[in-house]
Amino acid sequence: MADKNLRFLVVDDFSTMRRIVRNLLKELGFTNVDEAEDGQVALHKLKTQHFDFIVSDWNMPNMTGIELLRAVRADAQLKHLPFLMITAEAKRENIIEAATAGASGYIVKPFTAATLEEKMNKIFQNLNK
Amino acid sequence: MSDFAGMEELLQDFLLESTELLSDVDNKLVELEKRPNDRALLNDIFRGFHTIKGGAGFLNVAPMVTICHRTENLFDKLRNSELGLSSELMDVILDATGAVRDMFTVLSQGLPPPNPDPAMLAALDAALAGNLAAVKAPAAAPVAPVVQAPAPAPTPAVNSNEPNWEALHQAVTGTEQAAAAVNVPTAAPVDMAAAATMVVESAPAELIPVAQAPAAVVPAAPKPQNKPAPSTGGSISGQENTIRIDTVRLDQVLNLSGEIGLTKNRLTTLRTEILQGNMETNTLRSLDEAISQLDLLVSDLQNAVMKTRMQPIGRLFQKYPRLARDLARQLGKEVELVITGEETELDKTMIEDLNDPLVHLVRNAVDHGVESADERIAMGKKPQSLIELTAEQVGDHIVIEITDDGKGMNPEVLRRKAIAKGLIDAETANSLDEKQCLQLIFLPGFSTKDQISSVSGRGVGMDVVRTNIQKLNGRIDINSIQGEGTRISISLPLTLAILPVLVVRACNQPFAVPLAMVREIIPIDTTAIQEVSGRPTIVVRDEILPLKTLSGLLNWQPTQKPNFGVLMQSAEKSFILAVDSFVGRDDVVIKPLQNIRPKGVAGATLSGDGSVVLVLDMEDLLAGQMDSSANGSIMLRNADNFSY
Repeated sequence: MADKNLRFLVVDDFSTMRRIVRNLLKELGFTNVDEAEDGQVALHKLKTQHFDFIVSDWNMPNMTGIELLRAVRADAQLKHLPFLMITAEAKRENIIEAATAGASGYIVKPFTAATLEEKMNKIFQNLNK
Repeated sequence: MSDFAGMEELLQDFLLESTELLSDVDNKLVELEKRPNDRALLNDIFRGFHTIKGGAGFLNVAPMVTICHRTENLFDKLRNSELGLSSELMDVILDATGAVRDMFTVLSQGLPPPNPDPAMLAALDAALAGNLAAVKAPAAAPVAPVVQAPAPAPTPAVNSNEPNWEALHQAVTGTEQAAAAVNVPTAAPVDMAAAATMVVESAPAELIPVAQAPAAVVPAAPKPQNKPAPSTGGSISGQENTIRIDTVRLDQVLNLSGEIGLTKNRLTTLRTEILQGNMETNTLRSLDEAISQLDLLVSDLQNAVMKTRMQPIGRLFQKYPRLARDLARQLGKEVELVITGEETELDKTMIEDLNDPLVHLVRNAVDHGVESADERIAMGKKPQSLIELTAEQVGDHIVIEITDDGKGMNPEVLRRKAIAKGLIDAETANSLDEKQCLQLIFLPGFSTKDQISSVSGRGVGMDVVRTNIQKLNGRIDINSIQGEGTRISISLPLTLAILPVLVVRACNQPFAVPLAMVREIIPIDTTAIQEVSGRPTIVVRDEILPLKTLSGLLNWQPTQKPNFGVLMQSAEKSFILAVDSFVGRDDVVIKPLQNIRPKGVAGATLSGDGSVVLVLDMEDLLAGQMDSSANGSIMLRNADNFSY
């Protein structure tokens, strides 16, 4: 299992949802978590602070999760960061869009800590390959 | 589903945030009726339902997920121009919004929301299928009232096989992680079949069992709310006892309390020095400095704490366009509600207590204030009527105004009505000027409509509105021009927590009067007192003002001849309060008196020297005077009837 000190950035415009994700991460032992309320804020934080893992909602005002993902992948400093996309969309075209843009994983709301862990483990495995 | 620590708090957060979101959606829906093709609006509404759905899913509120999911899909189709907006469709959407709101209410009481109305779901489904008219037929196709898992109807069925994100991901991006950023073109060979059968941890399987046992969410919610109630005002509706505060403001409070701690340490040191007999000038000067600093810090802290309770009034206002729209539609009127100043900030408690009065005023404006389109055209007005709701800060007050361009009020009609209902006698009525006639609508039992409408005509309204506003130390004012419209202004203090007062002395005792009512202070020259119809008055700049001694109002024995007059002003009338002397102005926190309630006393506070100061309630004091005064002339009684 991954280092519990990994620093997470949870991006969602709905603060209840950020709290839920934060709680789930805490259940998995990850307590080093910061939050951002949209893609713009997230990108600013990513550029000014160090993070190891991004968990982002898709649908947000100002800058959506997919836009954030593209911006992250286009940034030489950030493009290596694991990016888990959270959304309520289970549509095929959405999944393909996320994959195309370079998402490391995709998880559909609502999900449990176990699901989150499974997703994250797969991402970590891929990272170590 | 995993157990969250603090689930009940999450639920509270969710309700608070989602309710705001839904109000916003409501307003955007009203906007959407005007601009049905506005993509930004459609997107925002879509996102609103989407977000609520997401949160509801985590909290296992399956019925809410069901509704939001369908509505969201509807907006997806609307924004992709697969569907067009019709008024029937709008009604379906508004119904769904209402149903979600009802569920919030149920949830906030700690109960599981009921399953959605099958007819409404059927309507949503029909709307999604694009044949709404079919369902509008009386017999709505019965839909099984089973909670529907949010399997997205319009998308290819997702089956619950092995999740295969990796396969897809690798197919799309190539196995090299590094290539992910660059290799977009490799998307072409995506195995579409694989994608189609892929499950992405979609919820159906998990949600259904939960939906059958909705109790899972609930036990957390009904936990008694034993957070301390704010100490201001007794009329707090115990609905929202959480508050969201800008962290900058909270940090300010923290900083100031830290600073105060430091100053306290300084004072402790100085005290030790002084107690040890060190009375050197330097020590005393330091003491003086430390106390001045503390003075400043405490008032800053008071302000900072007050600011944490300040909320934009927009949170309240945003509910009203929908209210006005629904009511106008029901009455067959065309009304536009325009809101300005929603960023104006007001004490949270007041915002909550303002809701009922404002709802009433908005309904009144739509129901009684503005005319129907036909009447308006006949009068040469635009068919669509305009109701404006504004808020702004004027000095240390917040002024909220609701203005309509309707038919206005007829003072004569109001006067006759008040007599007919036996609320005032004819003699009193005839002495009222036009402005005073308008005030008649605030009398208990007054209703201008002969027929009680279901909307706003039970006559319990305006007096309750006024009472509620007065409870908040506010004033309500009315202006109306026949044929042109009515404006109702509400003026409120910024906060209830701290009351600026003028401390005066009478009968060898200090009293505090609300500074908001004080216009000026004048010396009383006994030769300037004139008797008018048996009552003492003083002419101040051509205005004849009645003179009332504080001791007289309190029914206490005067100990000396009053030297000063405080010119007190409330909305409709002014008078001079005669007092013995002054202490000064002060910002006080009123403490209610336990068990005793002397007439005219709102509460007590401590003065700087530690003595108790009674804070006067001028309203109550004047009412008391009316009861006990033998020579209550008509003029005087009028003044009291319409006092604030």
